[in-house]
Amino acid sequence: MKTDRTITILFFLLLIMMPLDFFLIFRVAPTEKVMGDVQRIFYLHVSLALGAFLALTGVFVSSIIFLWKKKIVWDSIASTCAGIGVLFSTLVLITGSMWARPIWNVWWTWDPRLLTVLILWFIYIGYFLLRSGIADKFKKAQYSAVIGIIGYVDIPIVRYATKWWNSIHPLLSQEGGGLDPMMKKVMLFSMATFAVLTIFLFLFRFRLAGIEERLEILKKKMED
Amino acid sequence: MSFIGNAMAILRKDLLLELRGRESLSLMLFLSLLLLVIFNFALNPDKDNVSSMASGILWVIFAFSGILGMGRMSVAERDEDAYLSVIFSPVSAESFYLGKALGNLLFLMIMECFTLFFFAILFDFEKIIGLLPQLLPALFLGTLGFSLVGTLFSFLSTASRYGEILLPFLYLPVVVPVILGGVTSMDMILNEKSGDAGKWIQLLAVFDMLYLAISLLVFRYLIEE
Repeated sequence: MKTDRTITILFFLLLIMMPLDFFLIFRVAPTEKVMGDVQRIFYLHVSLALGAFLALTGVFVSSIIFLWKKKIVWDSIASTCAGIGVLFSTLVLITGSMWARPIWNVWWTWDPRLLTVLILWFIYIGYFLLRSGIADKFKKAQYSAVIGIIGYVDIPIVRYATKWWNSIHPLLSQEGGGLDPMMKKVMLFSMATFAVLTIFLFLFRFRLAGIEERLEILKKKMED
Repeated sequence: MSFIGNAMAILRKDLLLELRGRESLSLMLFLSLLLLVIFNFALNPDKDNVSSMASGILWVIFAFSGILGMGRMSVAERDEDAYLSVIFSPVSAESFYLGKALGNLLFLMIMECFTLFFFAILFDFEKIIGLLPQLLPALFLGTLGFSLVGTLFSFLSTASRYGEILLPFLYLPVVVPVILGGVTSMDMILNEKSGDAGKWIQLLAVFDMLYLAISLLVFRYLIEE
């Protein structure tokens, strides 16, 4: 199958990219003057945030397509994306917290950027709570698509939170101007690696969902 | 009948039901009063700090009593699939939604006036009644946001087997911007803080329009069978 081959190719690609990415982050990228080695977590933090953004955009787009086309496959795509989005945004919160402890001297602070990401996390946890409470497949798809659409309102708020309110969260774009060229290259490579990881996870999980569905149909046939 | 006319008919239906003894409004009022009492001994406010706590206490009460009331409203529609008879009538899903949202808005506003009144009495903070005209824009826009999101999500949550228990988990994260705008602008007015309360009111208006537009687009998918 075509998907299977793509998954295999991406897997081998990641087998090269992931170790290389970590090598670049820990060995090649220069140490930051003020923050020291702790700054290296940024490469992961930002890349994970990019992955979460990609995945949640996937939820939004496929939710709209589902409501429009009414094909259940778009719901599988949306929920698969939502799972990756929750996983990555959890990791974004954890890596951010690990960085904040030595730099800001607290694990958590009520900064607009942090608050909006946490809310994003809550919204998509709610998405899965709702899904677990509805047995009917089509209804489940329809109702969670509504959350997938309205929940996405939070994404631009996360993006612009640092601009609208006084935030102490560092900005990549602002920093980008002064970023060491080597750091910039490592950051871009890390982002590319995690984008590939996101696509790989998506295809892998989506394929699994397809297999689960086939299994269910077979089970039903055996019962009949 | 027109779009607005249909919405008004739905609103009238809910008002009639409420008058004939369905108790969602009285439950809301009772919970607000109870929360006021609990906040009073939990935070122990005195004359000096009550004004700095007021907006936080009030908006938390508005949010929680609102959840209770809006949950009840949609449970009543789901009971014995009462809403289906509305769906099978020529009323469009959009005017049904609008009517329900207006009903929720009205009940929430009543609850909020009641809470403000008892807040002034129980917390010895009469100043808030005098400032009511200035507080009103933010209060109205915030409540509108509550009812727009709450009406949509109460229909979502009552469709699941968890029922209205699920409502706060879906509703609260999404209305955080509304609560934030409401609390901050009220705080600015009550404490004469520097800063532009108008900016927050604009933010509330933008969110209301956004939620209204999205809700009108997606609500039909929640009730179609």
